[in-house]
Amino acid sequence: MTAHLTMEQLLALRDDDRSEPGLAAGRDHFTTCRRCQSELERLHQRTARLRALPPLAPATDEFPAVHQRITVARQRRDRAAASIGLAAAATLVLTLIGRDLVHPRRLDAEQMLQNEVSQSQRLEQELRRWNPAERVIDGYTAIVVIQLENKIAELDGQLAAAANSKHAAPIENEIKLWQQRVGLMNALVEVHLTKANNVGL
Amino acid sequence: MHAMSLPDADAVIARARLGDPVALEAIYRAYATPVYNLSRRICRTTEDAEDILQETFFEVCRSIRNYRGDGSIWGWIRSVASSKALMRLRRNKYRDTDELNDDLAPARSASYALRMDLESAMARLSDTARAVVWLHDVEGYTHDEIAGQMGKTVSFSKSQLARAHSRLRTWLGEEAPA
Repeated sequence: MTAHLTMEQLLALRDDDRSEPGLAAGRDHFTTCRRCQSELERLHQRTARLRALPPLAPATDEFPAVHQRITVARQRRDRAAASIGLAAAATLVLTLIGRDLVHPRRLDAEQMLQNEVSQSQRLEQELRRWNPAERVIDGYTAIVVIQLENKIAELDGQLAAAANSKHAAPIENEIKLWQQRVGLMNALVEVHLTKANNVGL
Repeated sequence: MHAMSLPDADAVIARARLGDPVALEAIYRAYATPVYNLSRRICRTTEDAEDILQETFFEVCRSIRNYRGDGSIWGWIRSVASSKALMRLRRNKYRDTDELNDDLAPARSASYALRMDLESAMARLSDTARAVVWLHDVEGYTHDEIAGQMGKTVSFSKSQLARAHSRLRTWLGEEAPA
């Protein structure tokens, strides 16, 4: 081999990356080519200079803003958790006591609603049994978990708002929200159980 | 790259998991500069880097109960920060081209004052190339890890790194004599 090494080959040599095609032949050339040896040395020096760049420090203190956001998020989550309990209880009461008083078509819808609520509760129990707080997950999985939890919290907020509203929302809307919640809960359980970091968000 | 220390780390992390704001602040104080540095080296503006700093620690504070100490806390925080920085690049991708493209402007590059400092040369790389150089050569991520974070292939990451070094070599006036 007489051609000088490409940058890809020089990087493969630097990083001892044996998957680079043609590197074996490149090594033979390298041992006798002063130009390629100099190139590799310059590459090493450039990398060392990059690593030696002085660290840049933030000009502003972001912690007060972080702390405020955390506080707000916790308050919102606590409110949503309290409200979701009320919403679920109200739905159950409506379903169990009021089913004989409503129109037969509404009975079907309430059965669907009840199914979605039950499914959501089953997934919550499954997640509690898994006890994610006691499990190790990597950074990427943690990010997906947070995204899912945020979406669930948003839905819980909507469900709570619907439950607290003076004007009853159409039951179809409530079913749709619960169906979305079941879908997200399924994804959350899946992520915790499989450590999947791509659930198509 | 960064020598960071979190005194009494295990106890601080345990308290942070319980939501202790003092412990959360201690973690922020220990790692704010390296997170900001990583963000600023990858992104073009201080505003972006400050946003990423805040977003990163917001996530860290919220999800620290999920961190169980199987790797270093810095490794975990860094993965959150790099993910946020790459997300920001994707959002800003309209600017993702080299300012001085040698292939398209050979006459200009030949007459251009080639010797510039390393930071300026890095700033002239495309966002993607700069991120790959920083994550691979400085932070020590593998091409596999970078490809995973970027949603690209390993060969994409490798070719970005090679292309970036070729450009840096030219811009820094480090090309070997013919």
